[in-house]
Amino acid sequence: MEIIKTQSLIKDYLLGKVKVRALAGIELSIINGEFVAIMGPSGSGKSTLMHIIGCLDSPSAGEYYLDGDLVSKLPKSALAGIRNRKIGFVFQSFNLLPHLNVLKNVELPLMYSGLSARKRGEKASQILDSVGLSDRLKHKPNELSGGQRQRVAIARAIVNDPSILLADEPTGNLDSGAGGDILEIFNKLHKAGNTVIMVTHDRAVAERADRIIEIRDGMIHNGDLAN
Amino acid sequence: MAISLTESLQIGVNDILMRKVRSLITIFGIVLGVMCIMVVLAIIAGMNKSTMAWMQERGGTNKVEIERNWDYDFRGGGYASLTLAELNQVRGQIPEALAVGPVINSWGASLQYKGFSYSGQVLGVLPGHQRMESWYPGKGRFFSDIEVRENSNVIVLGATVAKELFKTEDPLGQSVMLSDQMLTVIGIMQEKIWESPGGGSFGGNALEYMNRQSFVPISTMMNKIEASSLIQSVQILAKSPEDALMLQEKLKLILLHIKKGKAVFRVSSAQETIQQMQQNSKIFSMIFIMIGMISLLVGGIVIMNIMLASIKERTREIGVRLAIGARRTDIFVQFMVQTVLITGLGGVFGIILGYLILDLVSGYLGMPMLAGPQMILVSLLVSVGVGLIFGIAPAVKASNLDPVMALRDE
Ligand SMILES: Nc1ncnc2c1ncn2[C@@H]1O[C@H](COP(=O)(O)OP(=O)(O)OP(=O)(O)O)[C@@H](O)[C@H]1O
Ligand SMILES: [Mg+2]
Repeated sequence: MEIIKTQSLIKDYLLGKVKVRALAGIELSIINGEFVAIMGPSGSGKSTLMHIIGCLDSPSAGEYYLDGDLVSKLPKSALAGIRNRKIGFVFQSFNLLPHLNVLKNVELPLMYSGLSARKRGEKASQILDSVGLSDRLKHKPNELSGGQRQRVAIARAIVNDPSILLADEPTGNLDSGAGGDILEIFNKLHKAGNTVIMVTHDRAVAERADRIIEIRDGMIHNGDLAN
Repeated sequence: MAISLTESLQIGVNDILMRKVRSLITIFGIVLGVMCIMVVLAIIAGMNKSTMAWMQERGGTNKVEIERNWDYDFRGGGYASLTLAELNQVRGQIPEALAVGPVINSWGASLQYKGFSYSGQVLGVLPGHQRMESWYPGKGRFFSDIEVRENSNVIVLGATVAKELFKTEDPLGQSVMLSDQMLTVIGIMQEKIWESPGGGSFGGNALEYMNRQSFVPISTMMNKIEASSLIQSVQILAKSPEDALMLQEKLKLILLHIKKGKAVFRVSSAQETIQQMQQNSKIFSMIFIMIGMISLLVGGIVIMNIMLASIKERTREIGVRLAIGARRTDIFVQFMVQTVLITGLGGVFGIILGYLILDLVSGYLGMPMLAGPQMILVSLLVSVGVGLIFGIAPAVKASNLDPVMALRDE
């Protein structure tokens, strides 16, 4: 079953009076449980596509179905709930809140979904255990290595059991060893049945996925199921 | 289902603790404003209370007084005194008065005893004078109506008069000389003490002048001591404070009529004085509450600007929160709660500071100042209100950030 389906997805940005077309008609479908890598040159629209898939942004035109629901027409207020329940985001620059410790960072999505404080703590430490950080719960992000920080970010992304895990260059700031650990976790999640979509510049990293989608100038160049 | 208030509070407290110094600077205006309002309200409450106590000490709020009008230009003729006939004329027109107490004042009369002499006011009055002032002898007795009728040679001394003239001797039953009359001392008035507001610096008993007065029957004064038998002042007791006000107006007209249009008398009432005091304190409190309001306004604007500036450096945090599922309302509430927490904290500091200042000031002035629980409540509500008003703009701005732009922010 398709968990993601887009039709003629277009995203325009206005830079002053000039229209910049970041996405120029994306036709994409991703099946539940797939591990997909997205590649493409800088500025080709990879992050823009990830933001729309992750419901952080809406397309200028075209349709986007998530889990069979047409979400491209939903108001922004409805997107927050979808982000919280269905999407887990991992960023290149980790994006942990610096003044919260590891456990609190991972608890955040659970707080916004209204879980009680006790259940939050239980669930968050359980997830942190699964990424090998059970001995770092009370550490602040700046007391961790890059690889550890990214593992915290992954824990935060998956703590709410999302339908899709989105990762925008998750290994971009890491050396190959730490990057390998991250990919190992993705692999495990994929094996467990999760859908993982990962942007990367690194062909070797991309090879770990089931499928590689290449984007150029806001369009899918090859790798879509249709091809 | 937005995040709960407790969560927002927790986030808010954390944010404030993280930025201690800034939060302290931020709340300065609020502290000042709240303190100002609280101190003023307390001082006013204290002043009103001591005014009432003073009125009570001076014979209550039902009193009306007729005395010389010092503003009147007597070069144009007229005397600020009443004859017995005129007094009776007045009395006849105010049957609603509970009591009428004429006073003949002999200024600077000299009382003599065993070669000692004491210069003070000797007043010719009726026995009703005691009730008029709610002031009675502490030792011995006052003279009676019979003694008034018989022009008796008796005198009641003020506490200070007794002390200075008789030193350690017991004055009761002794005779003192006034003009050419021997008067028997039959009583000594209770000592009147009033530590006035500001007494600490101005020194003393505002009612000491009363302790320097002595009293003889008004008839004795008229017929034996004073050459003239003119009444210089009259005290009238009304049934109620409202009656006193009406009586005051009525007496003004009666006296003008008797004195053929010359305003030689001033008619005052305790009630009028109280109303004036309240009017004055209203103006005074308005001014200071305005100052408090302005500090609150300025404090509120400062907080708003600092919160707006802090959003700039917290853009990424807001982006992250939105990315992991925070709603716009969550962000709105988070910033709102934080602003209100800061102003509320300012309010608490303001109240504490206000208390310290009230303590200091009331100790220094020897004046009671009342800061009741309702004043604390008002101060708290005001500071929270400021937070609610000035928190809106930052909260709206934060919650309207575009998640993608916010995440892109460096
Ligand atoms: N907010 C914006 N305003 C204007 N143009 C934008 C905006 N965001 C992205 N773009 C433009 O859209 C295009 C796609 O950007 P995007 O960030 O998706 O590229 P990318 O493939 O992720 O690149 P990189 O590999 O460098 O991260 C670029 O040309 C970019 O300049
Ligand atoms: Mg990108």
